Parts: sequence; C-alpha cells; structure tokens
Amino acid sequence: MYKLVPSVCSYCGTGCGVLFEVLDGRILGTLPLKTHPVNEGKLCIKGWNLHEYVNSFMRLQAPRVRINGRLHQVTWDRAIQFAADRLKKVIAEHGPDSVGVLASAKITNEENYLLQKFARAAVGTNNVDHCARL
Amino acid sequence: MPDMKATVREWLDTGKVDLFLGYKQVEGHPLPYAFDRDNLEELQDLMESPARYPLEKLGAGILAVQPNLKIGILGRDCNRRALNVLAVHQQITPGQIEVLELKCCPSPLHKHADCSSLEPRTYGPVKLEVGIDNSMPTARMEQFDQRTRFDKWLYEFQKCLKCYGCRDICPVCFCKECSLEHADLVETGGVPPEVPLFHLIRAVHMAGRCIDCGLCEDACPVDIPLRLLYRKVNEIVKDLFGYETGLSLEQPPLSILGECAPGVTGSHGAAV
Ligand code: SF4
Ligand code: SF4
Ligand code: SF4
Repeated sequence: MYKLVPSVCSYCGTGCGVLFEVLDGRILGTLPLKTHPVNEGKLCIKGWNLHEYVNSFMRLQAPRVRINGRLHQVTWDRAIQFAADRLKKVIAEHGPDSVGVLASAKITNEENYLLQKFARAAVGTNNVDHCARL
Repeated sequence: MPDMKATVREWLDTGKVDLFLGYKQVEGHPLPYAFDRDNLEELQDLMESPARYPLEKLGAGILAVQPNLKIGILGRDCNRRALNVLAVHQQITPGQIEVLELKCCPSPLHKHADCSSLEPRTYGPVKLEVGIDNSMPTARMEQFDQRTRFDKWLYEFQKCLKCYGCRDICPVCFCKECSLEHADLVETGGVPPEVPLFHLIRAVHMAGRCIDCGLCEDACPVDIPLRLLYRKVNEIVKDLFGYETGLSLEQPPLSILGECAPGVTGSHGAAV
C-alpha cells in the first residue's frame, strides 16, 4: 500500500532522479533520489514539487479538441485524426513552411529524431526548434 | 546488526507494527521500502542503506493519512531525536513510530559514529577562502572577526536557489504554511531569496527543533553550511536554557513555527 517509486523528473532535460511517495495509489510527495548519478540527492524547486502537478485538478488527463469554440474530450484516435486533418489543410493552403515543430528536452533522443523526421519528411519544412532554446 | 530481519518479522507477526520502513535495493538503488505482513518473504532483502532518507518524516506522512497504523522504522539516534521533536509538536503520538536502532553518525549530541554520508568533504579554493568550510566546528567559525563572519555567511546565503530542499527534506519541518513562503516575511519572486532573512528565519525556527541530522545540508544543491548554522543556534539554546533538542519530550523553551502548523495552537510564526 505504501511504496517509493524511483523515476526521472519530467521538467527539464537534466533528468534528475526522483522518488515518489505513493500511498494507496496516490502520490503524497517527491524526494530526490539520493544515489542518482545526475543529481546526487539534490533537486530544484520544480523537482521537489512534481507530485503537485500530477495531483492537480487542472491537469489534462485525456485529449481534447476545440470544436466550435468549445473543448471536447475525445479519444486519442480522434484527436490525432483531427490534428492530421488540420495540419494537412494548413499545409495545402499556406505551404509546409507555415508549420513549425517544437521538440522537447523531456523526450528521448530517438523521439526527437522522429519528430524532426516528421517535420522534414512528412510536413516538408526545416522549421524545427527545441524547448531548451526558449 | 545481528538479527535485524528476525526482529522486524517478529514486530510484524506480533502486531507491534503494521508497517516497517527499512531499505531495499530497487532498480540498483538503495531505496526506502515498506515491509508489511503481506510481503514478509521480501524481508530477506531488508538492508541498511548508505543513503539516508527521513524515514520518520515518511512515517509521519503516512500517519497523517492513516492515523491508526503502527509504524516501525530502521533508524539511528537522529531519527529517534526527530521523533521526539515530532511528538513534542503533536505531529505524532509518542510510541506511534517505533525505531529499530542502528549504529550512529557523528553529532555533538551523539559521539559514536559510522555514517558515511557525513564524512567531511573537500571544497574548492574559492569556497574555502571566501565562504565557509562546511565541516568547520562552530568554535573555529567564531575565531573570525564579526565582519569576516558576516561576509562569509552572506557569500554562502547568496548562492541559495530557493529550492526549499532544506525544508522539504527536514524531518522536523512540517508547517502547513511555512514562514519562508510568507510574503509579509520574505520578499517573494526573486532568487536568491532575501539575504540573509530567508536563512535567518529558518535558523530561528530550528532553535530547539533541529536534531542535527544533516539531511538539509545533503540536499542543498549549493553546499550552504546549514548544519553549522543550526548547530550554532542550538548551542545558544543549550547555553541559555539548558535545553537539548530531541533528547526528551520536554517542551522547548521557544517554539517558533509557521502559521497554522497543524496541531499547534498559539504559534507565533509571524512574529519572527
Ligand atoms: S540538520 Fe537540517 S534537516 Fe536535520 S533536523 Fe536540522 S534543519 Fe532539519
Ligand atoms: S537547500 Fe540550499 S539552495 Fe535550497 S533553499 Fe535551502 S539553502 Fe537554499
Ligand atoms: S515555518 Fe519554519 S519550521 Fe515551519 S516548515 Fe517553514 S522553516 Fe520549517
């Protein structure tokens, strides 16, 4: 019922080791993973408070699309279809360079590779940037 | 420790505790681990850990949600002192958390020592020259004249990232509304947090409260000698009032907490 689950902080690309305190399936708190080689038992203020966004009532837990000005909760398939249709429409009307892709420090190298591949090969633009430059 | 595992099994079997917080190797890391009657076979993996976590704080956190549990922890003298302080401030009832005691780390309160994480570290030349060697005894610090001492502390304090790690890891910090986040006390919205106020507020709160476990200093990303600061504060408490923090369930001479500390009436945090 009570366990400490090791994980990696999802806030930035540093990748500090964290420990979630979990009681009956709910995260009570976050601790630094003391033996993690990256952060050696230290965290910044964001890492210390990871549990707050996991538990936040404002957290989006399912995909939503905006239809006629209102957000509707939909399945992933429907959301992806919706995004694909809109991207196609934008590219058809304004050309591929009207699309930009922002990759992330929080996903893996391989996923970032796929994302730039998607931008260049599927969309046809070199507008690729990364959140670490924001 | 001869038969740590057998003792925990007995505690669980006889119902002395419902949950025992010890350590186990998980995914290559020694992690705090909860043993209970449903996973008795895992007790063979119970171990001491080279990395210390505030098990008593985790235990108190569980009790805040499930107050009827009886909890045991693998601990040292510092954990026991922290439990006394938590009981003094009504965060737990005395005896609600049992300690299976291991050998101990160095502290003016407890000489005998084997805690690896508290070995003196070596620091770079700038810190040694301009700042403070964290392993310096308070008496050595006092040999500097007041101006030098003040400059040294300012150098250390201005490195603060305001991560609140020192507070969050601390087994005896539990206030719902912490003074360190109170806009009337410390200016908000800047890093470093107001120097030296932020650290002095916490130092005052640690008077008669800090049990010298050193976890805050371990957690500080910028090596501020927090332990030295709180040691000094508690030396003063001892000299003036003869009070030794954590050694008994006696009320401390001064209790300065954040506002609305749960279970504490008449706190006067805002007066700091
Ligand atoms: S040494 Fe630091 S973490 Fe430990 S009780 Fe004192 S203030 Fe809290
Ligand atoms: S742990 Fe260190 S950096 Fe973080 S708030 Fe405390 S003193 Fe500042
Ligand atoms: S108000 Fe003081 S004693 Fe309370 S949590 Fe904050 S620093 Fe600790």
